Amino acid sequence: MTRRLLTGNGAAAWGARLAATDYIPAFPITPQTEIIEDIAAWIDIGDMPARMVTMESEHSMITAAAAAAASGVRVFSATSSQGLLYGMEMLYTVAGWRAPFVLVNVSRGLASPITLEPDHNDIMAARDCGFLQLHCATCQEVLDSTLMAFRLAEDARIRLPVIVNMDGFYLSFTREPVEIPDAGAARRFVGDYDPENVRFRASSPVSQAVAVLGGAPYSYFRYESHLAAQKGLAVYDDLSAEFAERFDRDYPAIEAWQCEDADIVLVMLGSFATKARAAVDRLREAGHRVGLLRPRLLRPFPAETFRSLLSGKAGVAVIDQNISMGMGGVLHSELAGALYGQPDMPPRLLSFIGGLGGRDISMEEFFEIAATTRKAVEDGHTPPPRLMYTEQELREIRKLQAVASVEREELDNSGGLNNE
Amino acid sequence: MYRIRFHGRGGQGMKTASRILGTALFLEGYEVQDAPRYGAERRGAPIFAFVRADDQPINERGIITRPDLVIVADDSLVPVPAAGVLAGVDEHTVLLINSDENAGTWQHRLNLRCRIVTLPAEAGDRAELRFIGATCSGAAARLLGNISRESLQQAIGEELADLGSAVVANNLNKALAAYDSMQAQAGCVHPREETDASAYSRPAWIDLPFDTARVSAPDIHAAANSVEVRTGLWRTLRPVIDYERCNRCWWVCSTFCPDGAIRVEDTTPEIDYDHCKGCMVCVAQCPPHAIEAIPEQQAQEAVT
Amino acid sequence: MSEQTVSIYRSMKDLPSTHLLGTGTPMCAGCGGLEALNQLYDIIGERSVFVNAAGCMTLLSVYPFTPFRGSWLYTAMASAPAGAQGVRDALDILIGQQRMKADEDMQVVVLTGDGAAYGMGLSATSGAIERDLDFLYICYDNEGYGNTGQQFSAATPHGARTATSTGSRGYPGFKKDLFSIWAAHNPTYVATVIGAEPVDLARKIEKAMSMKGPRMIIALSPCPTGWDFDPKETVTIGKLAVKTGIWPLKEYIDGKVVHTKPPRERKPVEDYLQLQGRYRHLFEPRRNDELIAEIQQKVDRYWE
Repeated sequence: MTRRLLTGNGAAAWGARLAATDYIPAFPITPQTEIIEDIAAWIDIGDMPARMVTMESEHSMITAAAAAAASGVRVFSATSSQGLLYGMEMLYTVAGWRAPFVLVNVSRGLASPITLEPDHNDIMAARDCGFLQLHCATCQEVLDSTLMAFRLAEDARIRLPVIVNMDGFYLSFTREPVEIPDAGAARRFVGDYDPENVRFRASSPVSQAVAVLGGAPYSYFRYESHLAAQKGLAVYDDLSAEFAERFDRDYPAIEAWQCEDADIVLVMLGSFATKARAAVDRLREAGHRVGLLRPRLLRPFPAETFRSLLSGKAGVAVIDQNISMGMGGVLHSELAGALYGQPDMPPRLLSFIGGLGGRDISMEEFFEIAATTRKAVEDGHTPPPRLMYTEQELREIRKLQAVASVEREELDNSGGLNNE
Repeated sequence: MYRIRFHGRGGQGMKTASRILGTALFLEGYEVQDAPRYGAERRGAPIFAFVRADDQPINERGIITRPDLVIVADDSLVPVPAAGVLAGVDEHTVLLINSDENAGTWQHRLNLRCRIVTLPAEAGDRAELRFIGATCSGAAARLLGNISRESLQQAIGEELADLGSAVVANNLNKALAAYDSMQAQAGCVHPREETDASAYSRPAWIDLPFDTARVSAPDIHAAANSVEVRTGLWRTLRPVIDYERCNRCWWVCSTFCPDGAIRVEDTTPEIDYDHCKGCMVCVAQCPPHAIEAIPEQQAQEAVT
Repeated sequence: MSEQTVSIYRSMKDLPSTHLLGTGTPMCAGCGGLEALNQLYDIIGERSVFVNAAGCMTLLSVYPFTPFRGSWLYTAMASAPAGAQGVRDALDILIGQQRMKADEDMQVVVLTGDGAAYGMGLSATSGAIERDLDFLYICYDNEGYGNTGQQFSAATPHGARTATSTGSRGYPGFKKDLFSIWAAHNPTYVATVIGAEPVDLARKIEKAMSMKGPRMIIALSPCPTGWDFDPKETVTIGKLAVKTGIWPLKEYIDGKVVHTKPPRERKPVEDYLQLQGRYRHLFEPRRNDELIAEIQQKVDRYWE
């Protein structure tokens, strides 16, 4: 065991290495590049007996990844935002091949406008495709989740690819103490890749991923993938218990902080949830009974666990670092779906959207989220979703718009420059 | 929690400096988090790096808005708004500036209530100063007061290992010298009190006004307004034309300037110092060698 | 079919003395790609719409600043030529139906790096040429995925060190021959250029501007950040690329390939390689004569 400072990208690369990955199809994209650079360097000096191939695009990359997995080798790959979307056709396609592999997504905001900074819209776009999703909050978690992801994907009851998500910059380029598990122990945990009957051999011909005509047969295949994804809940619980036993680090499907006696609960994904945790600590010091839920599993959606953790609570604030245009925060909608109509559910479920494109969420904003939720509980009224944006930020954008020569008339008509 | 922010230019080794400090703190037994922040990751452009250290796991990330210690490796960044050197600097902050002007001058100039400490800057072209990162992290280590010379040494050895033992030794000497020079102010940096949830200043949230697409599309209805961005501030060396030697060659310097920052008026080339990034291509290509490279600071002093 | 035009560019003094592209962009100091773009833009002019794919030059326009006096559209990494198709077709429809005056028309110009041009953009480019799209394609070739940290691309030359080819022999692959791939589609015009040879570049762009149909340009772009050299060497290295024969300046026109500036006495490739950090492993700690000879041989064979 070695505890050292490692970036999230470095941790992901270590996860791939410790899992005895055979094959890494790659394509560089900010902020993921260090992952493939680390792996390329290890392969070059002989520290990692794997093969890496730089493909011409992410669409090709994901195709190659799944095809290799379908041929019988253990596969790892990584991408981000625009790349994840460029490969989206193949994400849907290959999940149904029932050949497991692990894809790390380094979360970044989506065009337009094109940006390089983090948020969760990219990973949210992949929620229906059939890949399972693990969300990380620390660099340690990235390494550990990568190991768990192989076990999850390769479990006989699942056999679906898994995405491990980490925030660009906040995890990918940030160094934190990470314990790198002993190679032997990691290997024993992950085990050998067993392709089962999904592989290519001359002696046993197989036609994989064939076309299907007819609604009933098609539905069979689609429903079965869904059922397999749902098995992920039970498999994950067993898996994380085993991981905790072997490596002494505990990763429940939903991480609960100070929730038992909380009235108000914040719900948040990813690394910024650590800021929410600090906010909860400050709020507790000020006498408020606030807690935090951080789901690590987003697919399958741990609905039952949410219900049991939120039962009897007065108010819930879901903080989404993503936005579904025309609908709102995705996690908020999904949670609402899980809680609706069930007994003893919190009567107030609020939506807050922030952190898009790397926008910071300040401690004061977390306090205000809690205060707003408290007020909603007291008033018995749920306010509309809050798109977190300040007066100062609006002033700044108006200045930029003036530089960009957005016509003065337009700005005036929309109450722009004279808006204060 | 200690919150430390570095400011420098791309190419000055701020990422390495933050990692030296981060590693040193880690060796001292702290929980550490360090990260660079790239804007446009270009040589000469302002960049930041952040270091956090605590004795418990760190539940915070991203930009540091309330620093305990701000380290400015290149004092020409202080007046540059985009560099954000003074963001969140208050009476609690210690501001360490690598400068050949003294603390008193800076105190007077900035008129802030923070403590200002200066680290004497080496003369010469800033871009050539390979030790800025090491000296800054050495000085910072002493100001923090919780890093031993041994930990600093080990950290430098680890972070610069790839550069070879001679480079490591040079950087180490500079860093230890800077460390020792801060003796009088050792331990002056303290972690700040955490924000109080019972008395905080409420964010000024607004309901974002609806703007029609004519306003809200990410479009720029202007021509060449990039000239408002003074990339001349990237410069650490300034090219200066000796018009006696310039033979009006029509017009090698102007054609080869990658940024188009040399125009020719009436057969005479003129360098646009608001935008010249100091690449020195013109110096290298001028046929009669009529363009000279002068350290930017020196050139500015000559003008004032 | 091309016309026999007499170029107005015979020597450097025929080149423009002021530059159209705005200064103040965040490209690296000494960027060979920006140097070429400045020269190209002076001739293409502001009655143009540049359609861009992801790469370093995407950051030319970062809200709210743009250096363009003409227009610009950022699309996505794989599809800039498809974007150009849409713009060109729309402009033709508007002019054809007299919904827009003919003098509002613009030259449609695709601008991409080698990452897009040699790789995932090849499909869209192939389609555009096949449809005889009337457009210009400018590829600034810095021989790697520059904007993401210089990982190897299909344009990386044999033996070069990149972020994903750090072994002692550098990149094991060979630079894809994009010129021939494009030429095989039989477009109106294909040419290689470099900012270090501005008269040759100007003549080619002038020629391209007088034609219709797909006109494809590859500009070798020495890259201080990616190739690891001092920015002031950008033009020196560019000239050596031509003088060693590594970067042949040529045109494909009327079904034939013509070399516009064949090096009379080719300098040894070593002169070019030695100046770049990305080839340092060929000389230190020991000379890799075998690999240097291999590179020389390839160049020799080309010119036979």
